Amino acid sequence: MTKLLRILAALVVLGVVALLAFIFVPVQRTQPATELAADWQPEPGQGKYVMDAGDCVACHTAPDGEELAGGRAIASPMGTIWSTNITPDPETGIGGWSFEDFRAAMIDGVAPDGTHLYPAMPYENYRMMTEEDLRALYDHLMTEVAPVRNAVEETSLDFPFNLRFGIRAWNWLALDKGPGFVPAGASETEDRGQYLVEGPGHCAACHSPRNAFMAQDGKTAGDANFLAGGTIDGWSAPALHGEGSSLRDWSTAEMAAYLATGRNVHSAANGEMGLVVEHSLQHLSDADNIAMAAFLKGLDGDAGEIPATLASNAGPMPDAPADAAGKATAEMLTEAQPGMPEGARLYLDNCSACHFVTGKGAPEIFPELQGNSLVTAAKTKPLISVILNGADVPSTAKRPMHLVMQGYADRLSDDEVAELASFLRGAWGNDAPAVSAADVATVRAEAATH
Amino acid sequence: MTDIPGLPSRRSFLKGSAAGVALTGLALSAAEAEAAPPVPLDQYEREYLTADEWAFVMAATARLIPSDGDGPGAIEARVPVFIDRQLAGDYGRADDWYMEGPHDASAAPARGWQTPLSPAEVYRQGIPAFDAWCETTYGAAFAALDADRQDEALAALQKGEPGLDPELRDFFTILLANTKEGYFADPLYGGNHGMQAWVYIGFPGARAAYREWPERHNIEYPLGPVSISGERA
Repeated sequence: MTKLLRILAALVVLGVVALLAFIFVPVQRTQPATELAADWQPEPGQGKYVMDAGDCVACHTAPDGEELAGGRAIASPMGTIWSTNITPDPETGIGGWSFEDFRAAMIDGVAPDGTHLYPAMPYENYRMMTEEDLRALYDHLMTEVAPVRNAVEETSLDFPFNLRFGIRAWNWLALDKGPGFVPAGASETEDRGQYLVEGPGHCAACHSPRNAFMAQDGKTAGDANFLAGGTIDGWSAPALHGEGSSLRDWSTAEMAAYLATGRNVHSAANGEMGLVVEHSLQHLSDADNIAMAAFLKGLDGDAGEIPATLASNAGPMPDAPADAAGKATAEMLTEAQPGMPEGARLYLDNCSACHFVTGKGAPEIFPELQGNSLVTAAKTKPLISVILNGADVPSTAKRPMHLVMQGYADRLSDDEVAELASFLRGAWGNDAPAVSAADVATVRAEAATH
Repeated sequence: MTDIPGLPSRRSFLKGSAAGVALTGLALSAAEAEAAPPVPLDQYEREYLTADEWAFVMAATARLIPSDGDGPGAIEARVPVFIDRQLAGDYGRADDWYMEGPHDASAAPARGWQTPLSPAEVYRQGIPAFDAWCETTYGAAFAALDADRQDEALAALQKGEPGLDPELRDFFTILLANTKEGYFADPLYGGNHGMQAWVYIGFPGARAAYREWPERHNIEYPLGPVSISGERA
């Protein structure tokens, strides 16, 4: 009995020691994937370009705040996370950070004092960035960005998420890739696209599902669930490839146009993706947007024809006629008989002027509703939100027109929005379950956040 | 209802409202039909018009678009509500009009608004002046006259026979125009109740989507109208 107690006591002591070590022993920083020469210098503009590709501005700038000075509230399932000031201000920003400190934050998610960053910072993906790009980005932030003195609100989540050492354990599970980038070798163009998508672009942060530990399930091209569709703030981020992907029929040129301009013949970027286009993708070169598109298309087996440049504005484009799947719905709407289902009537009264009876919309202006991932998504909040609150597509350098859809919250009741949304989810060959008035009431009650 | 002096006639008003309610009930969608019926005109809370002015507007619009023709009358379409709300708003106050003058009542009508009075003021001064003329000519205020006398009086007003002040020159013109506007405008503004006027003339309303129809000749467009707020009929 005494022996048993003694063993138990020893185990408890061992456990406490292990826990203390887990909490207090400093984290080892990951060594760089490649060593650069001490006198290595980035090309002019390289760091700014990496920053655009990484979309740092999106999170590290508060609404109406100074660029990169932090203070944006990032909603997470654990609570609100406040983005930090990454201007080179020595006290409130990263002015005192060495490059090694910076790299550790980017690839290990660890601040210079050893604190773990919350993984709202996508170091899971930035970990795949090359040493050159990390150096260039550091150089840009330190020498080309003006320091802004801005002490941001400290993130304080509820127990247990306030115990940041817990992230250490999470990192063991989550950081299973990298550091550095492993090209698949499909072609030079696709490899470049793969790098941008996996690394700085951190597409998987939204477009890959999350596993049981809330880590990205699918970070690189070989992973089964890579870019297989995820959720952000109740919105579905669609699958970018695979059987059920509504983007599967897009050509590489169409995909590249969407990235560079926020619109193509099928769809238009709104919500979070609209912001990505506005702050990041439109500032990248045509070659890089084409490369990403080619890589994404290549995930389905073949990138097809890879254009050399993005087509400039091709002038008026006729809208598409109904196809076989959409014919029955288009005919019903064309006949406009008073006995049609209420959802169809609501579509005629409110939507068909822009999206047309074919559900095909107008190329580069009004998105297609047939086969539209937002329309048929498992999460119905985006569709309901767009109907209630409208949507907008940002102005981009190549397509300056800022496109706006009005909201119908004042015009349609919850029942009517449910009828309309359910109609859309079953029209033109779409096949998604109906939406209830209660679903609509829930979305209506939330403030319009997009 | 006796406290509302001089309706066109108690019977025709009741008939009109009943017909209006019946037509509306048939025409509106289930969702709309569940909505509370509108306040009866005799209980309507006026925003601008006084009780006497309201009685005049009720009586005059009921003669300008009478209820006993084919379609709904001004009363069923709640035109007086439209006029009251317009006079209370920026139209009534001539908020965004050039009002500095000079105003010349002898100028041709195409020369625009030739009175220092706002439309609301024209109603306010025009109604008692015209009623005084009706008293002198027919022995009663306009609203208390029978329909034939009212028609006669309005015709005289249109021709300028009552000899109103030059500032009130356009009283009849705006009364007629506002009546038509209230009859055909979107229900959002209080008139054209239940889009009855649109149904009557076959106007499909604010749908703005008929791309499939321009080339389909000699086929009647099958759907009723939709209003700005989404009412369907």
